Amino acid sequence: MSPAITPAMIGQVIISGILAGSLYAMVALGLSLIFGVMRVINIAHGPMLMLGAYTTYFLYAGFGLNPYLSLPISMAVLFVLGAVLQRALVFRVVDAPELSSLLLTFGISIALVNVAQLAFTSDLRSVEYLTGSWVAGPFAFSKPRVVACLIASAITAGAFLFLQKTRLGKAIRATSQSREVAMVCGINVQRIHLLSFGMAAALAAAGGTLISMMIAIQPEMGQIWTFKSFLVIVLGGAGNYPGALLGGLLLGLIEQLASLFLTTQLSEAVAYVLLVVVLLVRPTGLLGGRQT
Amino acid sequence: MSGRGRMFVAGLAVLVLVLAVYPSFGSGYGVRSMLQLFMWMALAGSWNLISGLTGYVSFGHVAFFGAGSYTAAILITKAGWPWLAASLAGGLGACVLALLIGYPCLRLKGPYFAIAMLGLNEVLRALVSYFEGLTGGGLGLSLPTLQATVPVYYVMGLTAIGVTALTYVIITSRFGLRLMTIREDEVAAEAMGIDTFRHKLYAFLLSAVGPGIVGGLAARDQGYIEPISVFPLAMTITMIVMVLFGGKGTVWGPVLGAATLFIFQELVWAQFIYLHQLLFGAIIIGVVLLMPRGVLGLLQMKYRLPRTI
Repeated sequence: MSPAITPAMIGQVIISGILAGSLYAMVALGLSLIFGVMRVINIAHGPMLMLGAYTTYFLYAGFGLNPYLSLPISMAVLFVLGAVLQRALVFRVVDAPELSSLLLTFGISIALVNVAQLAFTSDLRSVEYLTGSWVAGPFAFSKPRVVACLIASAITAGAFLFLQKTRLGKAIRATSQSREVAMVCGINVQRIHLLSFGMAAALAAAGGTLISMMIAIQPEMGQIWTFKSFLVIVLGGAGNYPGALLGGLLLGLIEQLASLFLTTQLSEAVAYVLLVVVLLVRPTGLLGGRQT
Repeated sequence: MSGRGRMFVAGLAVLVLVLAVYPSFGSGYGVRSMLQLFMWMALAGSWNLISGLTGYVSFGHVAFFGAGSYTAAILITKAGWPWLAASLAGGLGACVLALLIGYPCLRLKGPYFAIAMLGLNEVLRALVSYFEGLTGGGLGLSLPTLQATVPVYYVMGLTAIGVTALTYVIITSRFGLRLMTIREDEVAAEAMGIDTFRHKLYAFLLSAVGPGIVGGLAARDQGYIEPISVFPLAMTITMIVMVLFGGKGTVWGPVLGAATLFIFQELVWAQFIYLHQLLFGAIIIGVVLLMPRGVLGLLQMKYRLPRTI
């Protein structure tokens, strides 16, 4: 328990919460996209984020590439990997019972984590690029987190514009509303699935690149992100894309508040209790979503 | 009962008898290995009860193992309970935890349950580390020394038999048929008047008891527990692989899967830890895509055995 909580501390917590929440929102949008379009919860979403972080690390350590410039590369690499996984494995279980898709993506997740263990070892690695904070009055703004928040917001906004305005984005939304009707309208649903899976992997990779400058990189860093991303889409409402935004910010704020009033150790438990309570009280999410 | 069925039952009786007298002539290492095999049979069989029968995937079944371990260890060290009673209480503790998670998550259809179980493990580990006074935090709990490997061997064996017998009773009952109806088509099950929430919840509670008891026994056998060793994600993965490999939703699939994979693990894979995990991932992918009924499914096709047993 903290002895005294000042208004400045609350302000700091809100700042940190929004900074973290923007990343949650971007990564969760990817999981939400796959769930919306294919009705598949991709357990391997977090490990994809881990691979994005490693891509950035190796480009930085090997070629001295600025980690922010590696962002498009890590997104492109994971886009391809996501598309390949969808084409090779996941498409076979899109119409199968949920058990199959959950277990399949769980298997993929274990395989990715252990390939990373074998290839990169479990040594902790870090990208020390932008460190320190900007200080404004009583508040500190961690540099990598502020930049990450800006980039994540830009990418998320770009993804929304893409979904809202372009023909392809409209095709994705149509497929997630009803696959059959989308097919009747001449949309190539197989291609939409491929594209959404690739986009989702790229969003996870962007998250990986951005957090590679904040925390240690290791093969098991990703799994917790699958859970957190899911928590975000439950908060916002499953299959409700704007809901992911609200859910992300809420999760960031709640975690930071919990670490202020309780301890950091318990903040993860608080996120979990939140999930259980939301499922109990408002299972369709705060903004409401489609029941599955 | 057919001739083949009678032979099977007779063979089984002989096997149980041999295992019952095994500690009197087996080596210490042999007894310990069999004890571990019984543990995996009980764990795999329990996972099968919820996930194999209802199709609701539990990605965090090791949480019940850990909850049982801590319940038993705390009762033994702080309240001086005998280990047998403490282990049974561990089963009850796991059951209470299952009720807390199952009540909100199983009311809903869809992936909510699976993901809630995915996070449960980490949360319990954090809670156990936080409540140091009771659990010893990261330092763990040391149980009073006691040479009890042979009695634990028997209780572990009985638990494995108990879980398998329970699976048989459930699968051949109306209750089991209803669970399998939920797995095949939950909406249709509801339309037929099955209270799907209560059935799923009962199956989940039953599936938590075995791991809870086994967790308590393992704590007694190891003599020392700490948060990392009783909540390993790898344990859930192993349970799932065993059931999928053997054949999910059957009585003998988990037993077959546990025995085969345990032997391989002991003989070959223990040296290559990451490769071994990678192989587990590959087995899960392969089984889901290529042989959803597992090895038992292949045997059933080949020798025309009954489909669900």
